[in-house]
Amino acid sequence: MGEGQRTAKRDTEQLVKASQAGDRGAFDELVLLYQRCAMCAAVRILGNAEEAAETVQNGFVNAYLNIGKLKDAEQFEIWLLRIVTNAAISQARKAKRNAQKITIDDSLEDKKVLSPVESESSEELKEKIKQAMLKLSKKEAKAISLFGLEDLSHKKVAEIMGCSVEAVRWHVFRARQKLKVLLKDYL
Amino acid sequence: MACISCKTKTKSIIERLFVMKNGQEKIDLLLECNADEQLKNVDWNKLNAAILNQLDEAKKYKASVRKHPIVFKIAAGVAAAAAVVFIAVMIKPQRPVDIKLGEGRTAMVEFIGSKGSASVAIIEPSDRAHAKVNIAGQSEKTANCCVQIIDSSTGQKEDVNRPSWFIICMSEYTNGNNGINRDAMDMLYLF
Repeated sequence: MGEGQRTAKRDTEQLVKASQAGDRGAFDELVLLYQRCAMCAAVRILGNAEEAAETVQNGFVNAYLNIGKLKDAEQFEIWLLRIVTNAAISQARKAKRNAQKITIDDSLEDKKVLSPVESESSEELKEKIKQAMLKLSKKEAKAISLFGLEDLSHKKVAEIMGCSVEAVRWHVFRARQKLKVLLKDYL
Repeated sequence: MACISCKTKTKSIIERLFVMKNGQEKIDLLLECNADEQLKNVDWNKLNAAILNQLDEAKKYKASVRKHPIVFKIAAGVAAAAAVVFIAVMIKPQRPVDIKLGEGRTAMVEFIGSKGSASVAIIEPSDRAHAKVNIAGQSEKTANCCVQIIDSSTGQKEDVNRPSWFIICMSEYTNGNNGINRDAMDMLYLF
């Protein structure tokens, strides 16, 4: 572990303890330290920055309201990512349910609006990835999303998911297999 | 087909392929590429401000809970009680009440008797009423049965004096385990 990481860890520990003692400023600092990491995880699951931002906001509020329950201050990052990824998966499934309520007529109308240029835009890929992620199980979606995050060791991913490193690797393998089929046109 | 999420898509993917980490696959790159594309336009200051704003709201809520704990506890208690009552009402079994001749409802009652010809009398038809069955003068025996009262006037309105029908369905559990006795045995009586 590098000196920088050790300092950040110590800082986090102190900030968590201060937050638990009721120091709101300390929690604001934690937000600043971890908002990027939380956002990366949420975007990977939801495939959409707007929805991810909403999920991250709710995740931090949830963390703030329950920070007193966190026993080990060192585990803040893992705890926060667990909250955010769970919220992101719930959000994705909720969005899927809402999307299913759209009538066939509505979806045809939407298709008319799209031009050929637009259909080959990043929006299309974004949507395809979002739909593909929804076809994965919760664990697979979590594993593949967290596995690709920089600075997040496999051990940490396993801790966030509450399973062994081997199990994480298995979920990643399964997720890749499924995504390769679902997104074959983009590979 | 290369990743189309990036404007400089082909170049981006090729560049990334050179720095592909051990065990990383094309699918990982595609996800990474999409995530990077999504995060590219995130206004981090705006996001931070939005989070802090939400935290302010949460802090106010937290403070009000601390200030008025009894009110919140009572409200939570009332809500919980209402939920329990609601659930109890929802899962309450649909039992027929106050069955009258001609309503076509079904009630579970105990009846006395065994297989054979019988005379039947119904006393105060309701779900708690008894059907008195006298089977060929034999001694009384107990078994479970389903009593169904059918509205005989349905489709027969021209004959107002037509009597009601009374059916006793023998429970299969009380009536043998094989052959024809496996099926519920119906006995039909005309009043």
